[in-house]
Amino acid sequence: MLQPLTVALLVASGLLGVLAVHHLVRRRLVDDPLIITGGVIELALLVQLVVGLAKASAIADGAERATFIAYLFTVLVVIPATIYISIKEKTQWAMAVVAGGALVVAILVARLQQVWSLNV
Amino acid sequence: MSDTQPAPGSSGSSGSSGSSGSSGSSGSSGSSGSAASAASAASTAGTAPHTGRGPGRLLVAIYGLLALAATGRSVLQITEYFDRAPVSYILSALAAVIYIVATVGLARGDRASVRVARIALTVELIGVLVVGTISYAFPSAFPDKTVWSHFGSGYGYVPLVLPIVGLWWIRRTSAASSTAEVTTP
Repeated sequence: MLQPLTVALLVASGLLGVLAVHHLVRRRLVDDPLIITGGVIELALLVQLVVGLAKASAIADGAERATFIAYLFTVLVVIPATIYISIKEKTQWAMAVVAGGALVVAILVARLQQVWSLNV
Repeated sequence: MSDTQPAPGSSGSSGSSGSSGSSGSSGSSGSSGSAASAASAASTAGTAPHTGRGPGRLLVAIYGLLALAATGRSVLQITEYFDRAPVSYILSALAAVIYIVATVGLARGDRASVRVARIALTVELIGVLVVGTISYAFPSAFPDKTVWSHFGSGYGYVPLVLPIVGLWWIRRTSAASSTAEVTTP
């Protein structure tokens, strides 16, 4: 779809995952670097949403296009939800949630790319 | 006055703290095991045993994700191509509703919510086992995949493992909270 953006998103969510695991091991809680990384990812996901919606008509099959658009919106929910949980939870499990969320974002971004490349 | 007041005050406080400390430890030695286990459970799960705290946050997050995934998928299936496999898609919708109920129940964590979550998780476990078995025995029954077909292999067997972990977690937290209620009065 927009390969540099996809690569950047995969790298950024990988970084968030590494940060979260680091904090988990060091028994740290949520801090600015974590929230900023999450915020940058969320912004990039919003760019992806705009680009994706603009290009969605390139997918001919209606059901596949609907899947693509559904993924574009679904992936936006993950980071805010995990950051919210990480602020509320005061044990190391908060960082486990963030690490899991980063993994999910990476999987969803990869799936988006897959749906795109299989149908265009 | 200033030099007489500290002396009885300090001796009295040290004497009372020493006696209360010794009597307290000896008196509660019988229930110290359950109190310690309740305290350790409370420390891992936050201030009080709660299904939505500590490790429960991860469980709630995973359930929330499954609820999102299942809801999205079933809305898509029902609106875009329902005729392809109606039974599969109705099952997907049912699974989505159960995941939503389980997420909310575990996150709220009060007595009634946990009871509802326990029922949802039990139905979920039975659903995964029954649908998983049928999908292997009679593949033609489910032409298109659901969250539960083939024991959730399309989702890394998370739908099979999650209700088991969830029911164990509910058992653990409710056991910890009942011992906490016994020891507090």
